[in-house]
Amino acid sequence: MIGTALIILLVLMALAIPVAASLGVLALALEAIYSQLPLSRAMGEVAWSASNEFLLVSVPLFILLGEILLRSGFAERMYGALIKWVSWLPGGLMHSNIAACGMFAATSGSSVATAATVGTVALPQAKRFGYNERLFLGTLAAGGTLGILIPPSINMIIYAVLTNTSVPKLYLAGIVPGAVLVLLFMLTVVVCCLIKPAWGGQKFNASWAERIASLPHLVPPLGIFLVVVGSIYGGIATPTEAASLGVVASLALAWWSGKLSFAMLKEAIEGTMRSTAMVMLIVLAAYFLNFIISAIGLTTQLTSFIETLGLTPMMMLFAVIVFYVILGCFMETLSMMITTIPIIAPVMFKLGFDPVWFGIVIIVLIETALVTPPVGLNLFVVQNLRKSGSLNDVIIGTLPFVLALFVILGLLAAFPALALWLPQLMS
Amino acid sequence: MLDHAIKTADRISLWGVWFGGGLIFLASLVVSVDVILRKLFAFTLGGADELSGYAFAIGTAWAFAFTLLRRSNVRVDALYQHLPGQLRAFLDILALITLGLLAGYLTFYAFSVLQTSWDLKAQSNSALKVSLWIPQGLWFAGLVLFSVTLVLLLLRAGVALLAGDWPAIHALLSARSIEEDASDEAAYAKSADLTVLNVVAGAGPAAHGLVGTGAPEAERKS
Repeated sequence: MIGTALIILLVLMALAIPVAASLGVLALALEAIYSQLPLSRAMGEVAWSASNEFLLVSVPLFILLGEILLRSGFAERMYGALIKWVSWLPGGLMHSNIAACGMFAATSGSSVATAATVGTVALPQAKRFGYNERLFLGTLAAGGTLGILIPPSINMIIYAVLTNTSVPKLYLAGIVPGAVLVLLFMLTVVVCCLIKPAWGGQKFNASWAERIASLPHLVPPLGIFLVVVGSIYGGIATPTEAASLGVVASLALAWWSGKLSFAMLKEAIEGTMRSTAMVMLIVLAAYFLNFIISAIGLTTQLTSFIETLGLTPMMMLFAVIVFYVILGCFMETLSMMITTIPIIAPVMFKLGFDPVWFGIVIIVLIETALVTPPVGLNLFVVQNLRKSGSLNDVIIGTLPFVLALFVILGLLAAFPALALWLPQLMS
Repeated sequence: MLDHAIKTADRISLWGVWFGGGLIFLASLVVSVDVILRKLFAFTLGGADELSGYAFAIGTAWAFAFTLLRRSNVRVDALYQHLPGQLRAFLDILALITLGLLAGYLTFYAFSVLQTSWDLKAQSNSALKVSLWIPQGLWFAGLVLFSVTLVLLLLRAGVALLAGDWPAIHALLSARSIEEDASDEAAYAKSADLTVLNVVAGAGPAAHGLVGTGAPEAERKS
């Protein structure tokens, strides 16, 4: 049963059948082969209940929030301010790239949006100040991935929906690893620039007076973060309500910087709906597939199969990490999450791993998938921003940061408290 | 005539996106007002979450056709991109047929959900007591638009296949490459009117064409 399902899915995907259709066809095929009951009659009910699931409403809202923020023009002022704070380090502006990504990530739930926004502001500086271009590109592609680890995060919401985990706990759990990852990325730049001082380019020193004067430019991202994430922990709002508040706050910000217009809003809504429909069609098909595979007993069979392998939890974790790293090279990340998590997560929970902790591990693996060739969306985004040179520059420049991602995975495995300390403290 | 019908579907789908997106946008405003009222005046509008759920279901269903016409359904193209053009065209049509299968099942069973609600005069299990056929009907209508668009595209692709018109199939159905996605994303970030940045005082403006061309389409993925 497991083999048949896997083969059908792989063949459909290899034939470039849309992911949503692959999942749907697989579900129908499994029903036809293994079930006596007309299970697909439940499809309407399954689809309707998934379609108006209140937690999922936050997905388009977070996308819309990002679309509006991107157009509200605060990114370059934020970047300018961060230069004054971190660009005295060896590696200069590369540190402000990472810091800006980290800070933008605190307002945005998407890694691609983070890389695109910060990259647009930062890229023209690479050649001007003599940085090693590859490493500079790497800071943007890798820094962008912080978007989904530092809350808010669209991917965490998807994980929460698929595994029935608490979004507020996941958000809290992402903060410390996110901060550590920012430091690790910066450390990577420092180490690279100490080994090869020529890569470092120009540093920028600023006086404390200048630094303090730049602080007001950091208020907009901080404000959005407080509205979206703060309102959840202040007990004021659920994640979806927080996303709504974020949309309103971003509208206010856009209005304040004179960027709010009907045309802008229309564009933002169009982009939002296209992405939302794309995601939701996959989600609907995945819900239906999950319904079928649990009805025909495939989930149980898989779990007992893995139990007969007799792997220790740590070996299993290692296997899962290897699986995601390899799959992440070839598959688009959201489809990868939606297709694999409903099957893998229950197995991991049964082995005793904490659902919140495992969520953070998955998010870091998704980050890795975003920057590993041949299919790494963030690599392409950064490459497209520069319009010249070879994609290989971006890939090579990102490699040191992939190491940093592996380091944080190791840290998470060795010290689960890294993710779990904050949620436990707050509960 | 078929092309005309597809154009019409395209226009309707765009209206559908504005309608559905507008609903979700409105829902976010209503939910925000509800949260603020609840916090400040311990007063709630009641049912804002339920209504936003309906807005989401309806909005998404109405946007499916748009996503299809913009070729934005996610496909794994690791193998696809290395295949010769005609083979790709066949896979494109196969992709459309399988999507049609999914959409057909979905629309058919969505109708039975709607019919049940109508027959039983079902109301939502909440203070609002919404007659469920209303949101479900609008949801179903979006799915019908999706299915009809699929059939039109399938007919058009069939005609092109008989005529051996490969470029038409490519233009209509081909999988968007990841490069296409990313270049949209990038062009889009540039179009967002990020003005030129002065990095340090005295360094002069970084006049490297930060303000790019506008891009109508954008793709957001995480």
